[in-house]
Amino acid sequence: MSATGVRRAMLAGTAAFASFVSTGAAQAQTGSGTTAGTEIKNTATATYTVSGVNQSKTSNEAKFVVDRKVNLTLTPDPANTQVSVGQTGAVLRFKLTNSTNGTQDFILSMVQAISLLGDNFDATNVKIYADARGGGSAGTGIGDGVYDSATDKLEFVNELGADESVMIYIVADIPADQAAALANITLTAQVAAGGDPSTAAAGPALTASLTNDDAVVDVVFADSDGIRDGRTSATLGYAIANRDVALTVAKSSLVMSDPVNGAVLPRALPGAVVRYCMIVSNATALVAANAINVTDTIPDNTTYVPGSITVGAIPLLGACILGTPMNDSGAAVALSPFTGSYTEATKVVKATIPTLVGPGAVAVTFQVKIN
Amino acid sequence: MPARTLLAVVLAATALAAGTPALAKPAAASGPLEITSSMMIESRSAAADGTTRVSLVKPTRVAPGDRIIFVLAYHNVGTQPLSNVVLANPLPRAIAYRGVSPGSPAPEVSVDGQTYGALASLRVRALDGSTRAASPDDVTHVRWRIASPLAAGSQGQFAFQAVLK
Repeated sequence: MSATGVRRAMLAGTAAFASFVSTGAAQAQTGSGTTAGTEIKNTATATYTVSGVNQSKTSNEAKFVVDRKVNLTLTPDPANTQVSVGQTGAVLRFKLTNSTNGTQDFILSMVQAISLLGDNFDATNVKIYADARGGGSAGTGIGDGVYDSATDKLEFVNELGADESVMIYIVADIPADQAAALANITLTAQVAAGGDPSTAAAGPALTASLTNDDAVVDVVFADSDGIRDGRTSATLGYAIANRDVALTVAKSSLVMSDPVNGAVLPRALPGAVVRYCMIVSNATALVAANAINVTDTIPDNTTYVPGSITVGAIPLLGACILGTPMNDSGAAVALSPFTGSYTEATKVVKATIPTLVGPGAVAVTFQVKIN
Repeated sequence: MPARTLLAVVLAATALAAGTPALAKPAAASGPLEITSSMMIESRSAAADGTTRVSLVKPTRVAPGDRIIFVLAYHNVGTQPLSNVVLANPLPRAIAYRGVSPGSPAPEVSVDGQTYGALASLRVRALDGSTRAASPDDVTHVRWRIASPLAAGSQGQFAFQAVLK
């Protein structure tokens, strides 16, 4: 190309369509941004004409190193865990996101919150585990967001990439304390040095750089929680949902008939029929008592009246009414959830109530004849 | 130096440079035009009178999202005037253009390294064939063309603002 042609091309510069530029070529900053340690280099060029001769010149190379901009977030995932008194291995779930522009380890620690918003007990045997991650074949329990004691055993987060997330589990036991209501636990994650794939221990916690050197990767804390220390916390609680119910049994008896007076003002004479009634009550509102077994041994000097067991609901006034007749053998009764049985060898009457929600009551009755 | 001898020297240099594209390679180790590239960041400090003083300093601490000022300084150290001076700065990959720096003439920008103009006049074609108006993030090159010849000894600088992705 002649010198004149080059000059004309350089001076053209009028607007025209740029063709086939990938729209991903120059994106605005998303996520954590350029990786820490990246060297940014800039060189400018100049072209000019001197005495009719075209020349060009290249500038020096200006450069600097991108520093480590530390940030992280920890969020409950999703909320308090409902537990039973005495439960073991109860799990609280958190989600940790590494918003730093580099791969980092994270040190995990916890404290049991002190009397915060109804917190009135401490969980025991508390452990912290990170959800196991990693490539290879899709093994069970890897990165699945569910605590699995067989795979999720690392007590810190190892080599979490920029803008990646991982689930953190707090696993603890609930003491057998009926008065327990809520135990809050605060989890803290601290950004630590990455770069070592060893799972023996986390890298050292990051500290802010004191020196300013454009050739060294400084550590700059840019925590989105406002406190620039590379650390953040989140709190979740174990909420007691299941505890013992206030279950009571009230037993009464009534003479139904005797051989002399019949059913009119009967007396407890030999040969009289007596009906026993046991009222099972659950006074704990909205909580169901399950698999209730009521047993009673018939009194001495009486004989069980076969087929006299009945089980059924009663009105709130506490009166004993007859329920559904049961089979002495204990076999199921059509259309009734209850079962009853009488065992001659032990002289035991037994009734089974599958579930009883409070406030509620069920009456169990049976009859004996006085010998 | 007699004019005829000077012309012979210049012609020899032309023969050397004839086969090379004008913008790509340096013609010689030195030359009458010196250009210096620097990347700076703003530093704010409180001045004695209570105002905030903003100065440009070396980028010793730069994190993603920080603003970088690119400065191109030029100086004609030769004895001849230089014409058709064009200063070009391809942007590093991790740098996003934001605009001209206050006090500097505005550059022409390009989104493909070939066509230069005002940002508002440029368009970007997506892989599916559709086009849209170019945004500052699409800029890949900037340049300044000095209209009148640069006299011997004169110097100046251009600057633009960018953001580290």
